[in-house]
Amino acid sequence: MNQELESRVKELIVTALELDDVRPDDIDAEAPLFGGGLGLDSIDALELAAAVDRTFHVKLTSDDGDTRAAFRSVRALSALIAARGGGL
Amino acid sequence: MPSSSSLSAPRRALVTGASRGIGAAIARCLARDGLDVVINCRSQVERAEALAADLRVTGRRVTVKPFDVTDATATRAALDELLAEGPIDVLVNNAGVVRDAPFPAMKREAWTSVLSATLDGFFNVTQPLVMPMVTRRWGRIVNISSISGVTGNRGQVNYAAAKAGLIGATKALSLEVARRNVTVNAVAPGLVDTEMLEGAPVDELLKLVPARRLGTPEEVAELVAFLASDRAAYVTGQALGVSGGLG
Repeated sequence: MNQELESRVKELIVTALELDDVRPDDIDAEAPLFGGGLGLDSIDALELAAAVDRTFHVKLTSDDGDTRAAFRSVRALSALIAARGGGL
Repeated sequence: MPSSSSLSAPRRALVTGASRGIGAAIARCLARDGLDVVINCRSQVERAEALAADLRVTGRRVTVKPFDVTDATATRAALDELLAEGPIDVLVNNAGVVRDAPFPAMKREAWTSVLSATLDGFFNVTQPLVMPMVTRRWGRIVNISSISGVTGNRGQVNYAAAKAGLIGATKALSLEVARRNVTVNAVAPGLVDTEMLEGAPVDELLKLVPARRLGTPEEVAELVAFLASDRAAYVTGQALGVSGGLG
């Protein structure tokens, strides 16, 4: 697994979603992003998708099955970004 | 009270249907409070331009942007142009029409045109502006409903349905964006002295109003201006009447 990319994704989640009380290292790469401990909601998903596009130039559209799968965890999201050629 | 510090740019408001009546009074109040204002209208461009010229004496930037809120494509194009100039911090969805008729005699066109102006208009204007507010972590959306949408009113099955629908949209949207300092509220005017009352049996209607008089557009606009300010940061998802006790 790409540890460095996962760290960047964690960092992005904290900064883009302004999670003031969360440190990137505290995020479990395999934990659910939504409906889990981070307390993220549907608007966070839209913001995160926009941030992923800006940072990694990978488009995540809401009606895309890949997007739903990628938003399961930091690990899944990082894998999709890598597969689509982002994060280089 | 200026809603922004001297260090930051003035906040900018878009008021739909603002060439006259309550919308014009809202534009006036917001400019007075130090906001830049975009006056939207559909057809009354000359009146909107006259209002804009009048409001520029406040020193605020006041512009006119004509578009029909029921036309999704035209609205999107106009909003893209506005957003290219800078953010919209405050949105007042005021555009609306009445097409009163007793329900058994109501034509389908009267139903669809009233619902479209209020509900499609809300969607067309609000949807593109919400995410930028969320991203900036500040926004104010005020939807002009009506007491008719709270209590119902004879001859206004279409208007009451549209204005009640707008209250539902207000409450639902407020839940989605509250955490990002974006508030969404509805203001429900009662009988207000505007051109929309032309032809209405005002003397009869006033018997129903505890205050026994019509409201003024300014009395509605003052509440909107408050809801658009920092002072109303903790008020969201509400439908507030300005009706002299009616409803």
